[in-house]
Formats: sequence, structure tokens, C-alpha cells
Amino acid sequence: MGGFFSTIFSSLFGTREMRILILGLDGAGKTTILYRLQVGEVVTTIPTIGFNVETVTYKNLKFQVWDLGGQTSIRPYWRCYYSNTDAVIYVVDSCDRDRIGISKSELVAMLEEEELKKAILVVFANKQDMEQAMTPTEMANSLGLPALKDKKWQIFKTSATKGTGLDEAMEWLVEALKNRQ
Amino acid sequence: MYTLLSGLYKYMFRRDEYCILILGLDNAGKTTFLEQTKTRFNRTYKGMSLSKITTTVGLNIGTIDVGKARLMFWDLGGQDELQSLWDKYYAESHGVIYVIDSTDEERLSDSKRAFEKVVTSEALEGVPILVLANKQDVETCLSIPDIKTAFSDCINKIGRRDCLTQACSALTGNGVNEGIEWMVKCVVRNIHRPPRQKDIT
Repeated sequence: MGGFFSTIFSSLFGTREMRILILGLDGAGKTTILYRLQVGEVVTTIPTIGFNVETVTYKNLKFQVWDLGGQTSIRPYWRCYYSNTDAVIYVVDSCDRDRIGISKSELVAMLEEEELKKAILVVFANKQDMEQAMTPTEMANSLGLPALKDKKWQIFKTSATKGTGLDEAMEWLVEALKNRQ
Repeated sequence: MYTLLSGLYKYMFRRDEYCILILGLDNAGKTTFLEQTKTRFNRTYKGMSLSKITTTVGLNIGTIDVGKARLMFWDLGGQDELQSLWDKYYAESHGVIYVIDSTDEERLSDSKRAFEKVVTSEALEGVPILVLANKQDVETCLSIPDIKTAFSDCINKIGRRDCLTQACSALTGNGVNEGIEWMVKCVVRNIHRPPRQKDIT
């Protein structure tokens, strides 16, 4: 009986947990962002080998957020996590101009995947607290985003350590996800 | 025989795809206009609450079907530094909707400058332009004649193309249908930019 009511209740009020992937090169700040979103604090992180997964609640929406390791050797395993993904947060280190090309090719390869065709793309231009950080326009150009003509995308300036920009980004993401259904 | 029938089938169920760019300064109401359009022309689309729309730093897309034409919208961010991304979309566009904030008298000259760049771009030669004087629901807004006067020295730069200035309120939806219908008429008759053809499968 309880199970019956809880089924009705969840079909009326509950929503499916949204599945979000946080991707990006190593050292971009993915894990810091994940824990900033979950506990609201900066935690000391070590390079992720494998993944971290946490449930984040934001504006009554539950997200299952996967933060996958970004090192070269483990990037090929990203695709194992693509199915049923609602949104991809692509994190880029705004100061790492040397590797922006690599970041672009990883992004392009990722977007070609059939399983991610319907996923929403948000780019976090992270580490904006540093001087010489790239502007959103520079980043869009370097990542080749203008070539992406059949997908909604948005860039946010963030600083995971200072905590700026994350709120607006999440708010936007919540609206975009609600709107999609 | 099969070819004949399949050809007929394709002809009957073909849609012509046109790409429409939505440009204008930031806070002009481009995304609101797009959402309003999507809500009005797609019966099943629920639409997002217009008050929740934030600044675009990127791209919003939308598709509507009007008769045999299918319009694909690209709504780009309008902030100063983002304007350099606009021209990446010019070559594939069949029409441009330029949105002006009629309540922002201060930045009208900025808007005019951006507009000039759009109309003088070679990649957009002959492409119809719909100028929307948005936010006409606000009482203190500039009227169409005011805006036309402010933009008067652009007139000879517009060249040979269809161009219409339309009063509109993206928030209430006034003028949206008229604008879109005009745009459809113009992109369909513009022989210089043939549509992309897509079969419905």
C-alpha cells in the first residue's frame, strides 16, 4: 500500500533524477566544481583517476552528477558514461591556452556521439579569477563552437575556487532542462 | 514507376529549410522573441516562462513550420564582445531578424552601428532583414517613426533586399505573427538563396 502511494506521489511530484556529466581536460577544475556544487566549499582535490559521482539538489531538482577523470589515458573511457545523459558541463581552464586545441578536439569528438545528440551543452570558462583568462568570445572561437549550428550552447565565466558564476550557470541549466521536456 | 511515385511522394512531403538569424544588442529581447515565436507556431511546445530568460552567451535554437517552409532560428548573444561571432553564421543564413530595444534611447546609436555592420556585410548580400522595434508594450518607448529617423542614414546601405520595420512586443506577442509571416514570404521568394531541402521521413 505504501509502495502504491509512493509510486503515485513520485509520478505526480517527483521528477527523474537528471544525469549530468562534468567533462574536460585534466586540471580544469571538474572535481572542485562538483564539490562546490554539492557542499558549497572548496575541497582539496587530487587528480581523479576514475570518477566521482554525487547527488546534487538544486531548486528542488535532483541531479546525479558524474565527474570523470580528464587525463589523456582515461579520456577514451568517457564514452562509457554517455548514455541517458541530460546535460554535459564542459570545463575548460581559461588560462591554459596551450592545450585549448586539445580541449577543442575532445569536445568535437564528444559531440559527434549519437548518444549525446539531445544533451544540453554548457561550457564553464573556469579559473576566471586569474589574470590573462580567456574571454567567452575567445573561448567560443578556440573551441569551434560557432560551427555547432543545431545545438543550444552557452558559456559561463566561472571560478570554482571563488565560487563565482556557478549559481547563474546552474540556474540556466535548470531552466534549460525543464524547458526541454 | 517506383521512381516516379517516390519522386511524387518526395515532392509532396518535402520541406524547404530556411535559417534565420536573430541579432541585436544585449537585452533587446532576442531570446524572448524566439521563445514567443516557438510558443505561437508550435502547438505542442509549452515554452519557458519568459521572466526566467537570462543573458545569452552562446546560441539558442528553435524550429517552426509555416506552411511548406521550415524556419530554423539561431539566436545569438548580443553583448559587445560576442558580436564578433555573428559573422560566422552569415553565409548559411536566409534571413535576419534584427531586434531593437525601443526603450533604450541611450544605446540606440550603438544599435545603429551594429546594424550598419550587418547590412554592409557582403556575406549577407540580398538577404531579407526584418527590423523589430521591440518592447512596444512599454508606454514611454520610442515609436516606429522615431526609430526610422534614428536609423535614416542606414537606408542607402540596405541595398537591394527586402526590409521591413515592424513594431512588436515579444513579451505580449503583439506583432510577432506579422513579422514571421513577412519573413516567410520574403525568404521563399528570394531566389538568390535557395533553401536547404529536407525530406520528411
